[in-house]
Amino acid sequence: MFKRLLFVTSLLVVASMLLAACGSAATPTTAPAVEAPTSAPAVAATEAPAQATAPAAYECKDAIGCAVIKPGETIKIGMGAPMTGDNAQFGVDISQGQKIAVSDAGDLNGFKFELVAEDDGGTAEGGAAVANKFVSDPTVVAIAGHIFSGATGAAIPIYEKAGLPMMSPSATNPALTASGSKVFNRVVFTDAAQGKFAATYMFNTLKVTKIAVLHDGSTYGQGLAQVTNDEFTKLGGEVLAFQAITPGESDYSSILASLASKNPEVLYFGGYVAEAVVLVNQMKAAGLTNTIFFGDDGTYGQDFLDRTAANGEGSYSTSLIPASTPAKDKFDAAYLAAYQTPPGKLSPYTWTAYDSAAVLIAAVKSVAVLGGDGNLYIPRQALIDAVRGTKDYQGLSGLISCDAVGECSSSGPTFYVDKGGKWEAAAK
Amino acid sequence: MTVSITPQVHRSKFGVYQVVQTILGVLFSIYLLWRIYDVFFGHPSYGPDTWARFAISGIILGSVYALIAIGYTLVYGILFMINFAHGEIMMIGAFGGYFVFEALKNIPAPTALEPNLNFLNAHPIISVFFAFVIGMALAALSGYFLEQIAYRPLRGAPRLVPLISAVGASIFLQNAGQLLFGSQRRDYTNPVILSRGAGWNIKIGAGIVTVPYTGILTLVLTLIILVSLYLLVQKSRMGRAMRAVAENKTSASLMGIDVDGIISRTFLLSGALAGAAGVMWGIHLGLVYYFVGFIPGIKAFTAAVLGGIGNLPGAMLGGLFLGLVESLGPGIMGIDFQLKDVIAFTILVLVLIFRPTGILGEVLSEDKV
Repeated sequence: MFKRLLFVTSLLVVASMLLAACGSAATPTTAPAVEAPTSAPAVAATEAPAQATAPAAYECKDAIGCAVIKPGETIKIGMGAPMTGDNAQFGVDISQGQKIAVSDAGDLNGFKFELVAEDDGGTAEGGAAVANKFVSDPTVVAIAGHIFSGATGAAIPIYEKAGLPMMSPSATNPALTASGSKVFNRVVFTDAAQGKFAATYMFNTLKVTKIAVLHDGSTYGQGLAQVTNDEFTKLGGEVLAFQAITPGESDYSSILASLASKNPEVLYFGGYVAEAVVLVNQMKAAGLTNTIFFGDDGTYGQDFLDRTAANGEGSYSTSLIPASTPAKDKFDAAYLAAYQTPPGKLSPYTWTAYDSAAVLIAAVKSVAVLGGDGNLYIPRQALIDAVRGTKDYQGLSGLISCDAVGECSSSGPTFYVDKGGKWEAAAK
Repeated sequence: MTVSITPQVHRSKFGVYQVVQTILGVLFSIYLLWRIYDVFFGHPSYGPDTWARFAISGIILGSVYALIAIGYTLVYGILFMINFAHGEIMMIGAFGGYFVFEALKNIPAPTALEPNLNFLNAHPIISVFFAFVIGMALAALSGYFLEQIAYRPLRGAPRLVPLISAVGASIFLQNAGQLLFGSQRRDYTNPVILSRGAGWNIKIGAGIVTVPYTGILTLVLTLIILVSLYLLVQKSRMGRAMRAVAENKTSASLMGIDVDGIISRTFLLSGALAGAAGVMWGIHLGLVYYFVGFIPGIKAFTAAVLGGIGNLPGAMLGGLFLGLVESLGPGIMGIDFQLKDVIAFTILVLVLIFRPTGILGEVLSEDKV
C-alpha cells in the first residue's frame, strides 16, 4: 500500500519536473540592478542639446505627465531579460550591448543615463512582474526590451497603461505589433518578414524545392517556422516534414534519422543556437549527408561557428548585421575591451541591443526639458511619440525608421553562409 | 513489519476499478502491438536503414540512462529515498572529463612525423582513461558530501523531508555549476580517433548506417561497469554489508556493520557511476553545461521505476527500454518526435498497472517498508 502511494507520488514529482523542464527553467528571481559604467569615457553627444530654455518653474503640460529626474538621480532605461537559468546568456549579452550604448550616450544637462536590467526569466509571468516593478519607479523613462516574445507580450499592456515606450532588440513574434500598441517598437525584423525572405531565398536563389522544417516550439521558433512553411508552399515548393523538437536536449538523432528517410534538400530550423548546434553536429551521422542546414537569426553568431566547426560548413544563417562599418567596428572593439568576449558570441542580438538603447536615448534627448528648479522633465507622451517617430536613425544594424505600428527595421535580413569557420554574406 | 498509512480494508481481488484498469491496459497493449505489426509489415513508414538508426541511438542513450538509473536504485535500495540531485552529480562528472580533455589538449607531445601533436591525440586511450578517472572521482566526492550535508542530518526525519532536501540540493548544484563554469554551453574536444559522428558504416537496405565509435565505447564501458558492480554487490564483503544494511539497518548494526560507513560508500559508488555516465554523455553527445544533468536525471529515474526501483538488473533493463521507446516509439506510433516522452510515460503507467513494482519487481524484502 505504502509502496504504491510512493510510486504515485514519485510519478507526480516526475510529471511536475518535466513540466518545469518544458517551460523555462529559469526562476524569476530579481537580479541586482546593473550599474551604468560611469568610468567609461563619455563620447560627446551628437544630438542637439535639450531645449534648456524653460522658465523658472517648468509646468508639465504632457497628456500623461512627465518623469521628473531630480539632480543626482539618473535617467533610467529599463530592460527585462532572462539573467539566470537556461537562457541567461541572452540577457547578459543584450544588457552588455545596451550598457555600451548608455556609456556612449554621455550625459544630458548633467544627468547620466543608467541601464537597469531585471531578470524576467524569459517567461510571461516574469515579464509582467518586471514590468510592474519598472512602472512603479518614476525615474524609469523607457524600456529597451523585453527580450523574449513571450515576456514582451505580457509586459506590453502594463507599459501601455503607464506610458513607457519600449524598443525591443529581439522580440520578433509578428503578433506583438499587430495588437495596435502605442508604446511597443522593435529594431529587429519580424518573424513574418524573415520567414518570407528565407522562403523566397531558398526557392529562388538556392533553387531547392524540397525542404523539411523543424522548430523548437517556442513562440519565436514556431511562429517563424510556420511562416516559412506557408510561404515556401505558396511559392510552389514542397515541405516534406514540419515537426517540433523539445528544446534543451542533447540528442536529436532520432528525429533527424526520420527526416533523412525523406531526403530533404534543405533543413530549415526555427529556434535558437543551442539546439541548432546539436542538430547540425548530429545531422551527418543521422543520414542527412547532403542536406543544407538553414537557420534563422536566433542561430547566427560566433557560437554556432565555434561549436559546429567542420559540421557547420555550408550552413546558412540569417542576420540583421550588415557588413562591417566604422561604427560597427568601433562598437565591436569597445565590447571586446569591456567584457573580454567578442560580440555575437553569447547571443546574436548584441548589435540590435546597442541600437535599441541608442534609439531610446536619442528620443529622450530630443524631448527632455531642464526646468528652472534644476530638475529634468521628460514628458511621457511626447517621448512615446518621439520613439514611434524615429526617422532614418543610423544604427549599427542599418537605417532605423519606425512605421505606424512600431516596426523599426527598414533593412531586410542578410543571409550568411558558413565558409571555413566564418560567416560570409551569401550570394543574393 | 508492514506499516500502512491506510486502514487494512479487505478488498475483493476483482474490484470494478481493477477490471476497468486491466481492460484499458489490455486494449492499449493490443493497439500498440497492432501498430508495431503495421509499421513493420503492413504499411512501412521508414526503410530498414532508418529503423536501424533509431535503434542505435536508442540503445546508446539507453545505456547511459541505465548507468544513471543504477545510481538512483543503489541509494533507494539502501536508504529508500530518491536522490533527485543525482542528475547534477552527473553534470559535475561531465565537467570533470571536459576539463581533463581541455588540459591534455594543451600539452604538446610532438613526434617526428607530427610536430603539432598534443597529448590528447598522441595517447587517446590514456586521455580517455584520465577523463573517466577524474570525472568519476569528482562525482563520487560530490555524492559523498551531498549525503553528508543534505541527507545525513535528516536520517530520522519523515520520508518526504529528505526528498525535498534532494530537490533543493539539485537546484543548488545547478546554480553552483552556473556560477563556477558560466552559463555558456561547451563542447567536448574528443581525441581525433573518437570524433563524434565517425564510426563504422554499415549498408542496411537503401542507406548507409553509421555506428558511432563513441557509442560503441559507451556501450562497452557501461557493460563492463555494470558487470563489475554486480560482482561487487553480490560477491564482495562490502556488497554483503550493503545488502545487509538494505535488509535491516538495526540488525545490521547489531551484527557489527558500520551502517553510516556503508551509506557513505554507497553514495561514493553511485556518484562514481553518475560521473562515468557524465563523461560518456560528454564524449558521445558533446554537450556540457550546468543544466545538462537535469533531463537525463529525470529520464533515468523513470527508467529505475520502470525496471523496478531497488533492483540493479531492473535499472539496466529499464534504461535500455526507455532509450529504445524514446527513439522507436514516435516512429511506431506515427506521431511527432516531440511527443516521445508521452509514449515513454504512457508505457511507464502501463507497466505499473500490471506490475506495480516495475518490470523486475523489487528483490529486496518487504520488511524494510
